[in-house]
Amino acid sequence: MKILVSAIAIASAVFASQASAQDVADLNDLEMAHIAYTADNIDIRYAHLALAISTNPDIHTFANTMISDHTAVNEAALGLLDKLGATAQDNFFSQALNEGAEETINTLSELRGADFDRAYAANELAYHQTVNGLVEGTMIPNIDNEEVRALFLQGLEIFKAHESHAEMMVEAVN
Amino acid sequence: MAALLTRRSVLVGAVASATAVTLKPRMSVADQPTIHDVKIQNFKFVPDIIEVELGDVIKWTNEDLAPHTATAVEFGWDTEEITNGASAEVTVTEGMEASYFCAFHPNMTGSIKIS
Repeated sequence: MKILVSAIAIASAVFASQASAQDVADLNDLEMAHIAYTADNIDIRYAHLALAISTNPDIHTFANTMISDHTAVNEAALGLLDKLGATAQDNFFSQALNEGAEETINTLSELRGADFDRAYAANELAYHQTVNGLVEGTMIPNIDNEEVRALFLQGLEIFKAHESHAEMMVEAVN
Repeated sequence: MAALLTRRSVLVGAVASATAVTLKPRMSVADQPTIHDVKIQNFKFVPDIIEVELGDVIKWTNEDLAPHTATAVEFGWDTEEITNGASAEVTVTEGMEASYFCAFHPNMTGSIKIS
């Protein structure tokens, strides 16, 4: 149980300690796009770690879904940016996300077997809950470009499905 | 739930070798089967319940960014992966399983009523 709690804390701490919601709300569309792209890539990294460490077939199924879905969203985002002739802009929050992810990956990498599966599932649930809250409550209301907003709305739909799936995973491995 | 997820996992590995689905038969123009369109939108099968007859064709079209499947709960038939903008078809056969879901997103479910 201690492992599960620590995993949740790691995912949540990124947002709690590094920035306020207002800081994120003040970012421009291209910076928000960078955050979304970064968040997608982080979950893809978690998934690859799960495929490498876990032997649980349910975890593998979930991880493969995370890879394919987040890859699809990122490809769509790159396509839209290309269409708009724009480039996503790195920012303090993307950097904070990556720093938090490094800590999480280091923690998860130390675990094996059922301990890893529980921590991975708990982290996926906490990560999607936190990111979804940020995307829905802070980012989408402050996006100026309608096409970018539409893509974020599509992404949110996917990430909410992941959150529900993660809830099932947490139940299944505990 | 664990058992359910395990079955789904088995499916993912078995998708490539799934043979239970009857592909569209060759038919004359006069014998064209009725095609039932099911959209996949916002992680939902729309409509989620369809009424069909033997020999009809069910066509799923994925309008989501994420890839999906339409897969019988007991894995008797499967569309395999349907990517964004793509479609997949299954012909209605006698005794085919009525309940299905997306193998990638198990909260997505649908059903077929065969009359």
